[in-house]
Amino acid sequence: MVTRGLKNVGRSPLRTVAITAILAVSIGLALVMLLSYQTIQAKIESVKSEAGSTLTVRPAGANGFEGGGEPLTDSQLADLKSLPHVSALSETLNDRLTVGTDTSLASAIDPGTLGNRQIRFNQNRFGGDGGGASGQARASQPRTLTIPIMITGVSDTISLTTAGANMTAGSLFDPTADVPEAVLGSTLASKNSLQPGSTFTAYSTTFTVKGIVDTGNTFGSSGLYIPIKTLQRLSDQAGDVSEGTVTADSLDNLSSLETVVKAKLGDKADVVSSADQTTQILQPLQNIKTISLYSLIGSLVAGAFITLLIMMMIVRERRREIGVLKAIGASTSGVVGQFMAEALALAILGALVGTVLGVALSNPVLSALVKSGTATATPAAVGAAGRGGQFFARVGQLGGISTTLQNIHATVSPVLIADGLLAAILIAVLGSAVPAWLIAQVKPAEAMRGE
Amino acid sequence: MLEVQEVDKQFRSGDTILKALNKANMSLKTGAFVAIVGKSGSGKTTLLTLLGGLERPTSGAILLDGEDITKLSDHHLTAYRRRKIGFIFQHYNLIPNLSALENVMLPMEFAGVPAKKRRARAVHLLNQVGLEGDKQQRRPGRLSGGEQQRVSIARALANRPGLILADEPTGNLDSQTSKIIVKLLQELARSEETTIIVVTHDLNLTEHTDQTFRLQDGQLTTHTGGTKALLSEDTSA
Repeated sequence: MVTRGLKNVGRSPLRTVAITAILAVSIGLALVMLLSYQTIQAKIESVKSEAGSTLTVRPAGANGFEGGGEPLTDSQLADLKSLPHVSALSETLNDRLTVGTDTSLASAIDPGTLGNRQIRFNQNRFGGDGGGASGQARASQPRTLTIPIMITGVSDTISLTTAGANMTAGSLFDPTADVPEAVLGSTLASKNSLQPGSTFTAYSTTFTVKGIVDTGNTFGSSGLYIPIKTLQRLSDQAGDVSEGTVTADSLDNLSSLETVVKAKLGDKADVVSSADQTTQILQPLQNIKTISLYSLIGSLVAGAFITLLIMMMIVRERRREIGVLKAIGASTSGVVGQFMAEALALAILGALVGTVLGVALSNPVLSALVKSGTATATPAAVGAAGRGGQFFARVGQLGGISTTLQNIHATVSPVLIADGLLAAILIAVLGSAVPAWLIAQVKPAEAMRGE
Repeated sequence: MLEVQEVDKQFRSGDTILKALNKANMSLKTGAFVAIVGKSGSGKTTLLTLLGGLERPTSGAILLDGEDITKLSDHHLTAYRRRKIGFIFQHYNLIPNLSALENVMLPMEFAGVPAKKRRARAVHLLNQVGLEGDKQQRRPGRLSGGEQQRVSIARALANRPGLILADEPTGNLDSQTSKIIVKLLQELARSEETTIIVVTHDLNLTEHTDQTFRLQDGQLTTHTGGTKALLSEDTSA
């Protein structure tokens, strides 16, 4: 029965080639879409895990040095630490050092068009120097066209060694201590020719450079980092916090934790989940994933439909032969089996060629899909997520994710080949269902019909 | 032993009921070589499809070796055709992409005969019907009409059936080949002890049969007057 079914494949070579080609395109497309789906899914999971399960807590109405309202306090954030599903809590405090007044350091960023625009804006607002923002006292300082240096007080140093940041020299300070020690961004250190062990002045205090960090972006690498308690004391911001980062014990609990934190802090804070930011960034990939899934289903349905039409045509053509087989003793199931073997053989032939096509086309198609899907959406999404972000690590992290979104490569595995064969079997079975019914309807008396 | 008892077969065509067979009766001994003659549309092929279990009669009984095939289920009817019936068709109806040998092996495959045994028997049968050597490996398209009909006859004999039904077996053959095929059928009826019923237009074939029936307007009658009488009846009709 199976042998006869296989022999029938070679009965009309031209037709077999045509059918194989059509099925190959269908199965090849299905594989490309399956591979795209799997690769994008893996990328989404990887980006989600990279982005982490964190909540960013900022004073309500403020974002870095923009906006207004009251700063958060150590005690407010300390309350969050005891909440269920909180695995870690870190705090940061930002300030800006006016060059020549607050510090001996030289700024590593040239004002350029953007800096001058900001200075003009601040002059209009305050009628004085646009560079400083540490208080009314600095408003009467002589006008300088220098960008202030961003100083960040941190309660832990994890973010100085993760998310694309690398210590290039020296070591870290103790973030829980109140000591005049600092880690400098590599660009700032280079600008001021500082090395670990060098000293500089800020807030009229002599700081020792403990280490140099390359944050992976110019903004982050042009700032400096000191223990939060030291910054709170020296900048007259005792107990103040610019931003808190609450880490959930798992991504699954992030959403419920967000609700609890929002309820706890009320209208005093803006709470932003990393999942929300990641979701926004990943939206283009989610769209491509959906397209891939629909295309995968469409390809399989098209393949099954083609097989269905072909097998119906073959059954109609061989109606009399089916009658003869039944007349000389073949059972209906036997004849159906023979035709299914034929459909399966055609589908497997199509799958083999389709797999080669799928392997060859998967990366170009995936690349085209990702480029067209993320070209316009990603920068906007990243901009929204990173706008005004003061802590370099987050800027670097999200920026890093965005740049790797387009850097997706599909890997063909034996599992994929097996999936291709499975698709072929599925197509053959689905495509043979109606022809099988047609075969069952053919009466053996068809054999007696005249030509 | 084959017995046909009061068999009716009616077809519905729109609002009209057509009677293809009307109270047909027939009784044949095993090993008989029998002809059923009649004009086109007289019901010959219908009778053959009923005897072969390809269709069921509207009423009546058909008994082969005491078993009423009209009462068999579809499943048992398939088994009946496989074990007890051999078909020879006017257009041979060989499977085009199988060799002559494979065509003969086919009914034995359906009957579950082991591959080695069915090959040996197919070779034997093809030799018996006079198709020898490399012709056994040829596909039907590379055989003459007479050779294809020999393959068809060998296929009909494959499972040693008690009854072989031949529908116009010489209808597509020249007169010389027709004579050879008829002779072959006659010999096989004797040697294989199988009943062979031939439905035909060819009245000359009746010279070689043991018994001849005539079908006219669905009525089956025994003809005892010899071929000449049949020919004269046919001319006058």
